[in-house]
Amino acid sequence: MLANERVASVAGRAQCGFGGVTATSAGRGLDWFNFFVANIQTGFGPFVAVYLTTQGWTQTRIGLALSVGTLSAMASQLPAGALVDAIRSKAAVAFFSILAFTASALFLAWRPTPLFVYLAEILHGFSSCTLGPAIATMSLIIAGRHALGLRLGRNARFAAIGNGVGAALMGTCGYYFSSRSVFFLTAALTIVGLVPLLPLARLYEPGQSAARQGAAADRHRERVTSVLTNRALLTFAICAMLFTLGNAAMLPLAGGLVAKRAESEATLLIAAGIVLPQLVAAALSPSLGHLAEVRGRRFVLFLGFCTLPIRGVLFAAFPDPGMMVLIQSLDGVAGASLGIIGPLVTSDVAANSGRYNLALGFVGLLIGVGATLSTGIAGWIVDRLGNPVAFLSLAGIGVTAAALVWATMPETRPR
Amino acid sequence: MSIRSPDRICPIIIAAVLLGISSLLDSGLAQDPSPKPSADAASSPANINIPGPTHLEPLPAGESVGVLGKKVFAPNGEDLGLITDVIVDRAGQPRAAVIDFGGFLGVGSRKVAVDWSLVSFDTEKRDRAAVLTLSRREIQAAPEYRADAAEAEMVGPPLVGPSSAGDVGK
Repeated sequence: MLANERVASVAGRAQCGFGGVTATSAGRGLDWFNFFVANIQTGFGPFVAVYLTTQGWTQTRIGLALSVGTLSAMASQLPAGALVDAIRSKAAVAFFSILAFTASALFLAWRPTPLFVYLAEILHGFSSCTLGPAIATMSLIIAGRHALGLRLGRNARFAAIGNGVGAALMGTCGYYFSSRSVFFLTAALTIVGLVPLLPLARLYEPGQSAARQGAAADRHRERVTSVLTNRALLTFAICAMLFTLGNAAMLPLAGGLVAKRAESEATLLIAAGIVLPQLVAAALSPSLGHLAEVRGRRFVLFLGFCTLPIRGVLFAAFPDPGMMVLIQSLDGVAGASLGIIGPLVTSDVAANSGRYNLALGFVGLLIGVGATLSTGIAGWIVDRLGNPVAFLSLAGIGVTAAALVWATMPETRPR
Repeated sequence: MSIRSPDRICPIIIAAVLLGISSLLDSGLAQDPSPKPSADAASSPANINIPGPTHLEPLPAGESVGVLGKKVFAPNGEDLGLITDVIVDRAGQPRAAVIDFGGFLGVGSRKVAVDWSLVSFDTEKRDRAAVLTLSRREIQAAPEYRADAAEAEMVGPPLVGPSSAGDVGK
């Protein structure tokens, strides 16, 4: 107990001296941790389908495996959030989440049999849900509530760079070596990704150790229902869900068209369509974080959401592959603004409630629902009405999301 | 590492990892012996000695090759995509190969069905066995194949000469 107190007081001092040595090394650790997490996540996306195809899996089975992943991620959001709330050391949460990714990648690489693939998908789905909130809470501890926007801007920058580098690295690896090598690379990267956690290991939430001394840890927790029914949080979560409903299908739809229309350089163009938005996000994220602290959350979110209808209309109007790649780069603005404003608004609402991670899980759950429905709806429209109508419909959803943000979302920036 | 007492998650994850390792070992062991006759034994408990196949024929590696998930190459060696399915007719004869073309990290991949005769197999080269005699342009002009569509179409074989390839064949 004594040791715990000393650690807490060290962390407390680090907090006061924002910009002091401890805070800076922790900050730098968090920068690179964001980089590696984004890096690691690249291989777990749609690439799993390609890999399982090379392992002789039928398309039906692959669809089932991916659904297992999606469903386990959605089912994990709230329990994972509650779990992270209950664990004092968020660095430990991050540590074990990354180890779960290691296991997941190795399962996929070593034994692409149904049992291990499902296990890998479930493990990955759950640990994604613990990792995101853990990063957000560590950011909150390092930056404090009043500089959180700037911190999240930095997070988004490093994550975007990590995404871009990861896509380039794993795309190259998959092309020149084998699909399987991508997962060995992922496993190797998870181990490297643990290193930036070292300076974060002693990070604790201020005041928590005192609260834990009695069995009074729960006294400081607000009721779950009062947090989740907060109007600002609910409005934001619904807007984010709507936005994702319009957004998630955009890249696969555009990618499919580029693959169909481009000549020999289709693969390169699609790669550019994945990396370019990340460059845009890396360039703009810090400014967006700053803007969120100066002009407000609602403004930045509105700005980001507005790029979705613009993209939809431009995709419908300019079906040229090269143009489509350029238009897709607008996704960087939307991605960065949602990535920053999500944890920020949630912190405005729930930072001191003891339910921050649960609230993040709730937002994540709604975003997950939006993403899952998105491809289904877009596919349905494409089959019946064609691609331009699908793009315009997604744009319409985007307009609704942006308008809803402007009209109904309360500004939560602390004065 | 100075990561301290991760109260509750630690035992849970360790348990999960141990479970994973143990099941890894289990299935590793379970795969070695030949298929378990448990299902058959349950249906006919009296019959302990299940009769094997009447006769066995060799399936030499150099003369046959599995196709699911195999890469498809152009005659010039260009990597075109992966075989994801084989479609057979009523008689069970292969009719078409479904090939997943293009894409980067799984984004922008596209499935096209092509006539079985357009794919040739060199079973000597197990890694580069399947060769597709279609140009990239013809592949791109082809309609996307959807398994759930009521009326799927495939790229047919050339009717007269190579010029008619790319049309939807009958």
